[in-house]
Amino acid sequence: MSEDWLTGPVLEQLNSGVLVVDEQFQLVYLNSFLQRHSCVQLSEVKGKSLFQVFNDLPEAWLRRKFASVLELQSPSFSSWEQRQYIIKLPHLRPATSSSQYMAQNCTMLPLKDPGGRLYVCLLIEDATDAFVYQQHLQSTLQKLELSNRIDGLTQALNRRYWEEQLKLEVQRAQRYKQPLSLLLFDLDKFKQLNDQYGHLGGDSVLIELTARVRALLRDTDWFGRYGGEEFGIVLTNTGLAGAIEVAERIRLAVSNTAVTFHEQSIPTSVSIGAAQLYIEGDRAHEVLIGQADIALYNAKREGRNRVVAFSEGETEFLLRTQQA
Amino acid sequence: MSTAFSEEQRDCLQELINVAMGLASDKLARFLNTFVHLQVPAIELVNSVQIPAQFEARYSHTEAALISQGFLGNDGLRGEAIVLYQLDNAHRIAALLGYDTDSASELEMLTDISSILTTTFLNGLADQIDNSLSYSAPRVLSSRQNNVPEALQETAVHWELALKVDISYQLVDHSFNCDMLLLIPGEAVLNIQQILDRILEEY
Repeated sequence: MSEDWLTGPVLEQLNSGVLVVDEQFQLVYLNSFLQRHSCVQLSEVKGKSLFQVFNDLPEAWLRRKFASVLELQSPSFSSWEQRQYIIKLPHLRPATSSSQYMAQNCTMLPLKDPGGRLYVCLLIEDATDAFVYQQHLQSTLQKLELSNRIDGLTQALNRRYWEEQLKLEVQRAQRYKQPLSLLLFDLDKFKQLNDQYGHLGGDSVLIELTARVRALLRDTDWFGRYGGEEFGIVLTNTGLAGAIEVAERIRLAVSNTAVTFHEQSIPTSVSIGAAQLYIEGDRAHEVLIGQADIALYNAKREGRNRVVAFSEGETEFLLRTQQA
Repeated sequence: MSTAFSEEQRDCLQELINVAMGLASDKLARFLNTFVHLQVPAIELVNSVQIPAQFEARYSHTEAALISQGFLGNDGLRGEAIVLYQLDNAHRIAALLGYDTDSASELEMLTDISSILTTTFLNGLADQIDNSLSYSAPRVLSSRQNNVPEALQETAVHWELALKVDISYQLVDHSFNCDMLLLIPGEAVLNIQQILDRILEEY
């Protein structure tokens, strides 16, 4: 063929690795790409066993792949997504990629020379870019997942995610017969505070309040922003007495120290409703929220800056107001 | 564009596929060192819109894998081969291929198996019509948690016609069933019809 002269230069300048072994897995050919990346000269390694020249190959796996190519005379493949690389090679993005080695897409092809001898050709394509994009995508998805759970202003959990966790914890508590309590609390006279100090003042109180509350909680508690100035805390493995204790500490942490905003001191307080889970069934978490809400309402009605626990008799009140 | 096959074309294709399946089973038997019996595959030309519904019943309540591999030959022969199988089936053949669970990831095992099935079969088909095929790397379209009919729907929508080939591999100590779908775009269907007509003329 008149185009024969093309093959050599193209093969040598190809930006992919080309490696050929015979049926005994002895090296027959390596193109420049592979020689340069692996610092191996073809003249020095020709005729040697592939596994001696590259001694950290996944040998058993690669033997099986090559055997299937030779026996079935059909191609075999390997993707970086399942096996990051076959031959450890440096890549050409040392500064911008977090991975140390070139990610590789590999194709193993059956070859036959004019004499009928069989070979396997290993084509290695550099997939480092795809690998890097994939890593960026994953870290972005993780951040997105986090921001999907968090309330932007206060960094407490947002209502949707918090309610999901409440539901799960209620189911868990029911299954393992463990106590669970819920606190709902509300910043007292928040509207007035906003009017007096502006919305930025209100915001800074919410942020400071959240930080103080978080410092009092365990890792296993779920703290979320339920509404504008209303927050909820799921206290796992905690009975009503323990919940009231935590609530009292929160109340004091808020009322004892005023929040400083633009060199003004803003005194604040919270009203807290507490309830322990006693109900069975699918809607137990909704009932629990309702009970803590009644207790919170009573804390407000009784003069604010206090903790009130839900007591059984008030169920009737709940039913009455719902019917009304 | 007519994508309907005449009766002669259909018979011719069935015959080619029977021979290809015979060649594939012979190769696989030698490779696996075990007797492989392949049933004469039932082929069916289906409108690709109907595909998801056809597989819904078989694969919706079980862990299944769906692997795609593109193929490209001369004379405008091209398409996408989809192999569907239930995962407990896959583990059986994986043991035969010498995979143990630590040495290779499940996805790697799945793509290897389907690539072997697809390429041995399609190479046999191509040989008979003096064609040769090149293949893209196999890709897992869905496995485990993903919904197989949904994934099929997304794939099938790009193709005019599907050749559904029911393959059942019977190994000595194991039985292994899978479905292979050859999805073929419209103009490639016309090219295949021309190839079939050429073969029919030669008889």
